[in-house]
This record gives sequence, C-alpha cells and structure tokens, in this order.
Amino acid sequence: MNRLKCSIGSIEFNNPIFTASGTFGYGNDLPEFVDMSRLGAIVTKSITYEPRVGNPPPRVVETPSGMLNSIGLANVGIRIFIKDIIPLYENIDTKIIVNIAGSTNGEYIKVLKELESVSTDIVGYEINISCPNVEFGGMELGVDAKLSNKLITELRKHTEKLLFVKLTPNVTDITIIAKAVEDAGADAISAINTVVGMGIDIGKRKPTIYKTYAGLSGPAIKPIALAMIHKISKVVSIPIIGIGGIVNYKNVIEFLLAGATAVQIGTANFRNPNAGIVIIDELNKYLKENGISRYSELIGKLDLYE
Amino acid sequence: MIIDKSDIIENTQIAEGIWRMVFKSVEIADRYLGAGQFVSVLTDDNWEHPIRRPMSIADVNEDKISIIYKVFGSVTQALTKLKSKDYIDVLGPIGNTFNVDYDTFYPILIGGGIGLSPILNLSKCLVQKGISITTIIGAKTSKEHFLQHNPNKNMFLSTDDGTIGINGTVIDALNIVLKGVKNPKIFACGPEPMLFSIQKILEEKSIPAQFSVESYMACGVGFCQGCVIPKKQNNEYYLVCKDGPVFEANEVKFE
Ligand SMILES: Cc1cc2nc3c(=O)[nH]c(=O)nc-3n(C[C@H](O)[C@H](O)[C@H](O)COP(=O)(O)OP(=O)(O)OC[C@H]3O[C@@H](n4cnc5c(N)ncnc54)[C@H](O)[C@@H]3O)c2cc1C
Ligand SMILES: Cc1cc2nc3c(=O)[nH]c(=O)nc-3n(C[C@H](O)[C@H](O)[C@H](O)COP(=O)(O)O)c2cc1C
Repeated sequence: MNRLKCSIGSIEFNNPIFTASGTFGYGNDLPEFVDMSRLGAIVTKSITYEPRVGNPPPRVVETPSGMLNSIGLANVGIRIFIKDIIPLYENIDTKIIVNIAGSTNGEYIKVLKELESVSTDIVGYEINISCPNVEFGGMELGVDAKLSNKLITELRKHTEKLLFVKLTPNVTDITIIAKAVEDAGADAISAINTVVGMGIDIGKRKPTIYKTYAGLSGPAIKPIALAMIHKISKVVSIPIIGIGGIVNYKNVIEFLLAGATAVQIGTANFRNPNAGIVIIDELNKYLKENGISRYSELIGKLDLYE
Repeated sequence: MIIDKSDIIENTQIAEGIWRMVFKSVEIADRYLGAGQFVSVLTDDNWEHPIRRPMSIADVNEDKISIIYKVFGSVTQALTKLKSKDYIDVLGPIGNTFNVDYDTFYPILIGGGIGLSPILNLSKCLVQKGISITTIIGAKTSKEHFLQHNPNKNMFLSTDDGTIGINGTVIDALNIVLKGVKNPKIFACGPEPMLFSIQKILEEKSIPAQFSVESYMACGVGFCQGCVIPKKQNNEYYLVCKDGPVFEANEVKFE
C-alpha cells in the first residue's frame, strides 16, 4: 500500500515530498549516496532565458536557525538547459518540475515556449514570481495581483502541463496574490519563497551578504510559512505546496494540517542531501504506526480553537 | 563523498585557540584523494546552526582523519566540547587536491592562520615521498604556533609580533626563502589578504603557485551555489566546493 500517493492536477506523484528550487541543483550531478528516484519530484533551480553568473560573494551566511542567501539566480540559461540537462532526465524516474524565472513577462514566456517546443519528460513548471521585474520598476512581480494574474494567464495559454506558481511572502496580503493566480489558471500554489532579510558584520561594518538584502530560509521562517499556507488554504481550492523551514516529518505534518497537499524541502538539503528521503521514510513510519492509510487524510485537518 | 557519523578518537588543544580533532571514518578515508580536500562537520542535532562547517583535512592515517581548527564562533566553540567516544557528523571528502609537479619545481609551502591544515598535510605527503621542500607557517603570535622554527630543516615560522621565528608575515618569510631557491612553485592556504599579497609578488616574479581558497559555503555539494570565488579570466565564478578548493594562482581573483 502506498500511503504517500499524491495527486496534483492530472499528475500522480509517488509521494508529496519534493525538493525546493535552488536547493538541489538541476537534479543531475548529485552526491553518490542520494537515490533521487525516491523523491516525489525535483524542482530545478530557476532557469532564465540567458545564462546568469549570479552575484559576487558573500552569497550565503548562517543566521539563527536559518540562513540568508542572495545567489542572483545563477543558472545555465534555457539553451544549455535543453541541450545538456534535459537529456539526462530521460534516464531517471523522478518527476521533474522546471522552475522558471524572468525579469520581464516576455522572458518567462520565451523560456516556457522553448521548453514546450522540445519533447521532454518534464511534468510541469513552477513559475518563480519573486524575482525583480524590470517592467515593474525592479520590484518583484509577485507583490502585484494584477501583474501576476496577467503573467500566469499568458503562460497558461502555452502549456497543458502542470503550472505551479511560487509566491513571495514579502507582501501585505498573500491571499490576494494566491487568488489572482488561481483565477489565471494555475494548477497549484507553491509557498513560500524566502523572506527578505539582512545581516550586518559589526567588525567590517558591512552587510553580511554582498547584495545587502537577501532571502531568509530554514526553520527560522517556518512559522511565517505555516501562517501563510493556512491563510491561502482558506481562499483557494487548488492544491498548495508548502515550503519553508521543513527539516523533518513532523514539520511535514504541520504543513499538511495547515492545508498543504505536498511540501518542498529546501535548506535542509544543504545539511544533508538525503533530507527529503529521510523525511519520506519517517513519514511513512508515522502513518503506519498511527494507522493512517493515506497521508492525504491529514490535509487541512487542523483543529482550531474557534 | 559520503556522510558518516564518525567516532572521535582525540580532540585536544594544541596551541592558543587551536585544536586538533582526530576521528575515525573508513568511508571517508576510502574516498580520500589527497592534500587539499576538506570535510564539512555538524556539531548539533538541533537546528540552531543549520549549516555545516568546512574544515580542511590535516592528515589521513589509515582510517583516522585529522582536522585542525581555530576557535572562531559558536560551532568551533562547540567542537571543543566533544570528547573521544563522542561522534561527529562529517560530510566528505570534498573538493580537489594540490597537484604537485615536483619533478620540475621546488615546492615552497605556505600556511597562514587556519590555512595551515592542508599545508601540513601536503608537507607530510611530500616528505614521505622523499621530496625536499620548504614550509612557511605564519601566525599572529608564538602562542598560536605548535611547530618548531627550524630554518636548517627548511621550516620557517613567522609571527606578526616577532615572538617566534621571522618577525613579520609569511610574505616576509617568503621573500627570505625565495632568495635561496631555484625554480620554486608555491602552495599556499590562508586568509584572502595573504593569498592576494602572494599572488601579487609571484606575478611580478613569474613564479607559479596553487592556492587553496575559502568562501562561505552552505552545502559543500554544489547545490547552493554560495561558495563562489571570481575567475581571473572573465566575470564568471568558480565554486570552491566543486571546482576547488585548490586553484592555480592565476585563475582566481581576490577583491
Ligand atoms: C574550504 C574551507 C576549509 C576550511 N578549513 C579550515 C580549517 O582547516 N581549520 C579551521 O579552523 N577553519 C577552516 N575553515 C574555516 C571554518 O569553516 C570557519 O572558521 C568555521 O566555519 C567557523 O565557524 P564558527 O561557528 O565557529 O564561527 P562563525 O561565527 O559562524 O563564523 C566565523 C567566520 O567563519 C567563516 N565561516 C563560518 N561558517 C562558514 C561556512 N559554512 N563556510 C565557510 N566559512 C564559514 C566566516 O568567515 C565567518 O565570518 C575552512 C573554510 C573553508 C571554506
Ligand atoms: C541558496 C538558495 C537558493 C534558492 N534559489 C531559488 C531559486 O532559484 N528559485 C526559487 O524559486 N527559489 C529559490 N530558493 C527558495 C527555496 O526554494 C525555498 O522557497 C526557500 O528556501 C524556503 O524553504 P526552506 O526554508 O526549506 O529553505 C532558494 C533558496 C536558497 C536557500
């Protein structure tokens, strides 16, 4: 019996444990001890149209129970991705979701169209709307409901594959954005991306990260992520993929109870590239021991005080 | 590369603020390629410090692996509390190795501060092969040294305060050593300003060198893309964990 079978849109995943974008590479070139076929899915690091070298160092720094990063979307670009990396996916069972980023609407569409034009085993796309958008004065597109709706509506026209939209938590009310992308035809909402933060080195009197502002991730952001997922779950009917500070199976159950259908593991992969696989085993054991025949029975089963 | 919960055999202070830990890992020793490679350690089971800490391999003796660490902040402080029979969660071995074409060159090894680990490792390997070398180790003061200054045996210590060995930095020591050797090649590891100075001197003198460099890293396996160092040739970056930590001196740029 597979207690962990998970469906989103038309796709069935072996389990609801995915790896988060930017924390597991492209799923190629993994340490020898990682059996990625066990993972429900891999979300690739964000792919942009042109290759990007990323930001100068320091790019990462530890913070209490978390870390700050500003990598700058370093990636190989869509052409090399299609030429060198997509073919590698043919030999693996794991479901692949390609995360797409862009600095204009046109860039997202170009990347998606390139991917649609080649035959691939990719099951879907995750649209990262938390990157600075030049048409939106350098602000993140994901803070504006209308613009987010417009982009997703456009992308929806070009693909029948799964379309996840990854939301930024750096907004006044995430439910408005969630609703806007659901209306645009998204199959699922991935939340959350990193929380804007900053660190200061008092010795050097410099920010700890080159770009000054950076993205906070790890257990430090889990309470923020849980609250956002719970709020989103009240306004949308499409599945939510919970992300933010998940490091063990208990955390997964928290996200399920809050309303998530699946989860992504990010920062925990840095500590142990097998984190997702360990969590799958732990979760299975928990379900068995508690006589729960399907993990999905837990989704949204939070018992509120009022 | 593997993650191994390794048994600690020894963990002792060897100089002021400097400790040596020896742990046992057949798995890591089996995969070890040579001086320059590093491991990345975790000290806690809770997530107060989510990120591993990279530490160069100072020695591999059968299945016993040594690291030498300087107490900086919370995690290295926590490392000092571990005792033999405790275990430590180690990821490794990571990265590439020094590449010593000792047939053509006379190796001068330079370790500054905590950069001495891979240098001691390399020095031992070369001496075991019967290759003659000169080693320079720098520190702020004599209390941070645990080796003997012995110019007759080509072992030079330097201290910023002159309390032992050559009064000054490893650069001052290097300038002295360079006068006495032909066809040198430098192998260095240490703080960025030190490597930068060495790079400038060597460029002027057209002396080849390999550097083992550091950069803040979150994973050590190429996932996070955090541990970059600028390439000299263009505006791209190397990853210290995947492309390094050892680079030809003329490949990398210090800013
Ligand atoms: C390839 C490599 C090899 C190293 N080898 C040695 C060694 O042999 N001996 C030794 O004493 N030290 C070594 N270091 C440095 C060592 O990793 C840091 O001193 C250690 O992480 C400090 O941790 P902390 O919690 O005590 O201090 P913190 O207060 O967390 O940090 C102090 C300083 O250590 C550095 N640092 C902290 N975390 C990291 C990290 N994850 N990656 C890189 N740098 C970090 C930063 O410069 C930081 O400002 C190496 C670093 C690298 C990248
Ligand atoms: C180093 C690093 C790089 C990341 N890169 C991306 C990225 O390229 N695209 C993206 O959508 N999210 C990216 N993220 C965000 C993660 O996918 C995830 O949303 C976030 O880290 C929160 O989850 P966590 O707490 O489990 O890490 C990155 C996170 C980190 C730490």
